Amino acid sequence: MGPLIVYEYISENTNLLMAFIIGIAFGFVLERSGFSSSRKLAGMFYGYDTTVLKVFFTAAIVAMLGLLFFSLFGWIDLSLIYINPTFLWSAIVGGAIMGAGFILGGFCPGTAFCALSIGKLDALTFIGGLVIGVVIFTEGFPLWEELFYAENMGTPTINNLLGLSRGAFGLILILAAFGMFFIGEWAERKFPREEY
Amino acid sequence: MNMRLKLAMAIIPLGIIIAAVPENTTRPYKLTAPQLLDEVKEGIQFVSTDEVADMLIQKDPSLQLIDVRDKDSYDKFHLPGAINIPLADLLSVENEDYLNQDVKMNVFYSNGTTSSNEAWMITRQLGYINNYVMQGGLNHYAETIMNPSAPASTSPDDEFARYDFRKGASAALGGGNLNAAAEDAPSAPKPTIKKRAKKKRVAGGC
Repeated sequence: MGPLIVYEYISENTNLLMAFIIGIAFGFVLERSGFSSSRKLAGMFYGYDTTVLKVFFTAAIVAMLGLLFFSLFGWIDLSLIYINPTFLWSAIVGGAIMGAGFILGGFCPGTAFCALSIGKLDALTFIGGLVIGVVIFTEGFPLWEELFYAENMGTPTINNLLGLSRGAFGLILILAAFGMFFIGEWAERKFPREEY
Repeated sequence: MNMRLKLAMAIIPLGIIIAAVPENTTRPYKLTAPQLLDEVKEGIQFVSTDEVADMLIQKDPSLQLIDVRDKDSYDKFHLPGAINIPLADLLSVENEDYLNQDVKMNVFYSNGTTSSNEAWMITRQLGYINNYVMQGGLNHYAETIMNPSAPASTSPDDEFARYDFRKGASAALGGGNLNAAAEDAPSAPKPTIKKRAKKKRVAGGC
């Protein structure tokens, strides 16, 4: 039966309303789990706090399982789910820039707005930088256009690249996630921060 | 028992289940059986051979003839401008752009009506529009357009009008003899349908 919008069970406007409500819930949960603190994201890099890894990986595997089971029951047509096209170099360079921004600023774009809403000035600075970055990117687009569109791989999924079924890859990812949680907590014990 | 263990105990078995079961690759049908029955009862999918011949003569760009017979039969003879989508390949991904579109009028044909009707029924159930069936198939096309027979002298006027049209169409489309037509018929041009973007998808992001 799903996705709801593609099959026009709900209108574009209802979709926006739902996005609004889900967005508020998302922001609320981010704030309540402490993501409005820049130390949480930076801690991921330095190893003293791996909450980010645990929260987002848990969310990812739960969502993945949900979609796979929905597909199994015929509730959703996975071929209609949007997959971001992969431009390999964009992904690598963009990932590096974004990662550096995470460590330097201590926010991801979502958590920055979350922190701003509770009045954090460092988040305001971060968002200022974000806007400047957007302006530089768009105004200077001809300069990096070639790099931006290089190595278009279409919309591959990792299980296709590996030649595995979706479910088998899902299981591997779940096991990998729990392995990483384990390593993350080991790192938290290894690199504790007293003042944090 | 800590949270980690509880979570692992719920998620890992689910992961094992999902790894073990086959993927669901069925395509959802969008029309219910009663809806389809209604359309079948009315026969709205049929296009007469006269209409097809008329569109061919007018070089109507919206007409897309689709030959659902196998490739050998298609190579031996096909209507001008027809593309070949054998019934067995109907659901292959590369054909989806031809079948699921809202620009052209796709007309399926086979020797009779059975295969083309099957093709229509499958595509219709998938919710595709603009697909039709040439009534009577190639056999009827040969009888009526290629070798029209004169009506009895007592027939009403419109019978004669139709006969005149068919004679004209037969000449225009190289009729008289199917084998000769096969040699004269231009090979199917590359279909002109542009590769359309896939069906609208739900966009998302962080």
